[in-house]
Amino acid sequence: MQAHTFHIKWGMVIDIDKCTGCGACMVACQAENNVAPVTEASNKLRTLSWMLVYQLSNKQDFPNHDVAYLPRPCMQCGHPSCSTVCPVVATTKDEEGGIVSQVYPRCIGCRYCMAACPYHARYFNWHDPVWPEGLDKVLTPFTSVRPRGVVEKCTFCHHRWMAAKEKARHEGHDPSHLAEDAYIPACVDICPTGAMHFGDLLNPEHEVHKLSKSPYAFRLLEKLGTDPQVYYYSKREWVRRQGDNYLKHEKTKGE
Amino acid sequence: MKKMGLDRRSFISFLAGGTGGILFTPVVWKLLDDASIWSQNWPWIPRLSYGALDRKSALCKLGPDAYGVEVLTVGGRPVTAYGNEKDPASKGGVCPLGAASVQLLYSPARVKSPMKKDGASMVPISWDEGLSILKDKIKVAGDKVAMISGDETGTAAEVLAALVAGLGSDQYFLMPSEAGPAVRAWQNVFGGDGQPGYDFENSDCILVLGADICQAWGPGVGKSCMDAKATGGSLLYAGPVENGTAAVADEWIPCMPGTEAILALGVANALIQAGRSADTMGMSEFSDFVRKGFSPAQVEAKTGVQAAKIKDLSERLLRAKKPVVVIGSEIGQGLSTFEAAAGMSLNFLLGRINQEGGVRIVPWAEPVFEGAPRRDAMLAKDLVAFLEGVAVGRNEAPAVMLVHEANPAYALPGGQSMANSLRKAGFLVSFSSFMDETAAMADLILPASYSFEGFDDSYTPYGSAKGTYLATAPVIGPVNDTKTAGDIILAVADELGLGLGLESFEEVLQARAENLGADWSGLLEDGEAWTSERTAFQFFLSMWKVPFDADLGKKGADGQLVLAPVVKLNIGSAKMATPPFNVLTISERELQGQDCFVAMNKATAAMIGVDQGSMVKIASQSGEMKGRVQIFEGVVPGAVSACLGFGHTAWDDFSRGKGTNACDVLLVQGLDSQGGASFGNPQITVSRA
Ligand code: SF4
Ligand code: SF4
Repeated sequence: MQAHTFHIKWGMVIDIDKCTGCGACMVACQAENNVAPVTEASNKLRTLSWMLVYQLSNKQDFPNHDVAYLPRPCMQCGHPSCSTVCPVVATTKDEEGGIVSQVYPRCIGCRYCMAACPYHARYFNWHDPVWPEGLDKVLTPFTSVRPRGVVEKCTFCHHRWMAAKEKARHEGHDPSHLAEDAYIPACVDICPTGAMHFGDLLNPEHEVHKLSKSPYAFRLLEKLGTDPQVYYYSKREWVRRQGDNYLKHEKTKGE
Repeated sequence: MKKMGLDRRSFISFLAGGTGGILFTPVVWKLLDDASIWSQNWPWIPRLSYGALDRKSALCKLGPDAYGVEVLTVGGRPVTAYGNEKDPASKGGVCPLGAASVQLLYSPARVKSPMKKDGASMVPISWDEGLSILKDKIKVAGDKVAMISGDETGTAAEVLAALVAGLGSDQYFLMPSEAGPAVRAWQNVFGGDGQPGYDFENSDCILVLGADICQAWGPGVGKSCMDAKATGGSLLYAGPVENGTAAVADEWIPCMPGTEAILALGVANALIQAGRSADTMGMSEFSDFVRKGFSPAQVEAKTGVQAAKIKDLSERLLRAKKPVVVIGSEIGQGLSTFEAAAGMSLNFLLGRINQEGGVRIVPWAEPVFEGAPRRDAMLAKDLVAFLEGVAVGRNEAPAVMLVHEANPAYALPGGQSMANSLRKAGFLVSFSSFMDETAAMADLILPASYSFEGFDDSYTPYGSAKGTYLATAPVIGPVNDTKTAGDIILAVADELGLGLGLESFEEVLQARAENLGADWSGLLEDGEAWTSERTAFQFFLSMWKVPFDADLGKKGADGQLVLAPVVKLNIGSAKMATPPFNVLTISERELQGQDCFVAMNKATAAMIGVDQGSMVKIASQSGEMKGRVQIFEGVVPGAVSACLGFGHTAWDDFSRGKGTNACDVLLVQGLDSQGGASFGNPQITVSRA
C-alpha cells in the first residue's frame, strides 16, 4: 500500500533515563480516554492499557544490574502492520499528522490487527466495560465508550489535537502550524519527571524534531520497517540495544 | 485560498475526530452516535455527557506530600485531574495517585454518612446524633483526648490540634513521615529553626541516601532532579533497592538496608580528612566521633559500600560547586533523629545551609489559633513511640482518640500491635472520607468531605526549598452526606463551649492566608500559589548538640536477612489504598491474583533455598507476611524487598484481599533520646510457605 506523505508528523520522544516507572501516565491515559477500571489486572493480555510501562533490565547480576522503564503507547507507525490487515478499513493511516485511527463502530472484532501489531499496542474488549456505581460520572466527553467485541488503542489523545486546532483558529493562529506544547497527549502532560516530549517531528521549531535526531534516540524494532512515530532516548547503550534485535557483534545505534 | 484550505482541513479534522473515535464537539459525537446506533449502542454502555469545559484548582494530598492540581470539569462535573503549572511544588506534574484523584470522589469505599458501631456492625446515623455522641464522650474524657492526623501541611490538622490543646491535652500527633525526624534533627541536634528543604533544581551534585525522592516525594521533586541533570548536574542514589530514583540516577550505590546514615558518616569522615570543617561548637567532638567509629573499613563492613567508593563520593561532593545531600527512608518514614542528622551533617560540612542549590530552611507558619501548637511542636511528638508506650503500659491510653486523614490501623510498623494500641483507646473516632481499616474499627465515623468537596490548604510540604501556600475552594459540593473536617471540628468545639473564635473552616483559611500575607482571592480563583524565598534566621547553629547515639553504627551486614521495604505511590500510600484507576498500573512482578511478590537477588534466593515464584513467609519479631519470590538483581544480597500498600482488609474490591501487608513485619527498633522511634529494616526469617 502506498504510504501517505504528511506535512505534520506527531511524534513522541520518551527519555527513558528520566522515567521512574511511576505509572502516572497509564492512569492519566485511562481517565482521559474512558477505559473502565478493573478490580483484577494480573493478566496483562486481558486488560486494556493503551499506555503500558515495561520494566527493562540489563540482565546483569548484582551489583552490575541496571533497571529502566519503557512507557509504550501506540507507535503510530509510518507503515502500520495493523491497518493493512484490517478487512473492514476500521483502522487507517491517512490523516494529516500521521495518527493511526481506530473507528470503533466499524470494527468487527476479528483481531487481525492485534496479531499484526509487533508492539502489542492493541487491546480487545472481551467484556462490556463496567463502571462501579457513580464512577460513570467521571467519564470525559472525549472518547466514546467501547462495547464488547471492539479493538481499541492509543490515539495520541487525538481530541486534544482537535481542541488545539480549534483554539488556534479562535486566536487567529495557523492551526496547521501549532506552537510547541499547544497539543500534547494526557500522558505527556501529567508525567511528573518530564520524561516524555511531544510535538511535530517535521517541525524544526519543535523539541522532538531535534531530540529524534540525537544519536541516543532510537525506535523499537526499527529493523522491521514499521517506521514508528515514537522515539525513545537513552544514553545507556544497553537500553538502546534492547530496542531492536541486534546481532551479537553488531554495533548499537548511537555507539 | 488560505481560507479554503483551512475550511477543508477543519472538515477533515471533523471526520478524523470521528475516525479516532475521539470526540471533541457535541456535533461530531451526534454524527458518530447516529452511525453507530445500529451496531454498538447498547443501553448498558454508558453514554457520554457534554457541557462547557473548565478547570478548577484543587489539592492532592493522597501521597506523603501535598501539591496543586487542576480538575477538569465538564458542565460543572469533575472528570479528571491535570497538573497545575503555577504550583512550584509540583511544577505541573502529577503523581499516580493525583492522576486518579477525581475518580475517588465516587470510589465504592467512600463513607456515605455518619456511622456508629452497633455490636459487630456499623449503622448509619444523623450528623446531629454523631456530633452529640462525640460531645458527650469528650466531656467525660476531659483532657484525655488524643488526635492523629495525616494532613501534615493542612490547617485542618491545626484546627484539630487547637481543639485537643483547648481541652488541656498535648497528645496531638501526626502520622510518621520524613518531616518528623528531619525537623527533630534540625532543631535538637543542630539547634536550628524552621523546616529543611532542598534546592535540587539548582544543585550540580545531588547525593540521595535512602529516600526514593524521584518517585515518592511528589511530582515536583522528580522534575527538579531531572532539571538539575539536564544542566550537567549529577544524581547519585545510595540504597538497598534499585528503585525509581535509582532508575533515573547517574549511579546506584547499593548499600545494606538501613545503613545509609552510616554511609553518610563515612563520607563525613572522608570530608573531614580532606580538611572540611564547620566553624561551630561541637565540631571537634563530631570529628572524633566519626574518626573513631566510621573509618572507611568500618563503614565498608557495615554498609557493603567499598572504601574506594566512599572516597569517590566525598571527592565528587568536594568537586561540585553546589552539592546537596538528602537522607530519608525508602518508605518515607521510620528514620531516627540521628540518622536524619547524619545526612544533614554533610550539608553542614560542605557549607550548604541556606545556599542556592543546597539546603534551604523555610520558616514555620504561625498558628491561626492562640494556644494551638505550631507545626514543629506537632512534628516533635512521635506517634509510634506513643502507641508503643500504650502497648507496653508506659503511656496511658487516651479516653477518646480522634483520627483525621490517616489510617494508623493499617500503616504503622508492626501493624497488628499498633492496631491493638489504638483499640485500647476508650472511644475511637474516625473522620475518614473512606472506609479504611481505622474507620472499620472505629466506634464512630464522622466522615469528612473529600479534599475536592470543601475548602482545603497546604503550607510548604517537607522538602520544598521555598515557602509555599495553596488554598482551594470546593470543586463540587459533597457527593455524600459529609462535611469538611475543619467544619466538623469547629462545630464540636462550639458544642463544647471551646469556641475557637472562627465560624467556618473557610474563615480559618482566610486567616492563615492573611497571616502569611497571601492574596486570598488570587489563591482561590487562579490556583496561584503564594511563595516566599525567605529563609529562617538561625540563631545559633552547632554541630551535634546532643550526645551521640550509641546505636548509630550498629546496624548493617551481620549475616542476617534484612527486610528492605519500598513504597510505590501507584499502589497506594499510608493513607490511600489502591484507587480503582490504579489497579492497571500494578505490574505482574508485583501482584498476581491474590499474591504479592517479594524481591531478592539470585544469590539470596539460593542461600535461602527458594526459586522464582516460590511462596514464602517472611517473619520478624513483630509479625509476618507472605509473598511469592521475584528474582530481581536490583536488591542487595541478604535483603528481601517488599512493597508496602498491599493486604488491605477494608476499602473496596480494588484493593481488599490483594497480597499481605508488609507493615506487619516492620519492627520498632528503638526510641532515640529525642523521642523518635526508628523502624523500617528489621531482621527477618524467610521460609517456604
Ligand atoms: S508518568 Fe513519566 S515517569 Fe511515570 S511511568 Fe510514565 S513516563 Fe515514566
Ligand atoms: S504500534 Fe501497532 S497499533 Fe500502533 S500503528 Fe503500529 S502496528 Fe498499528
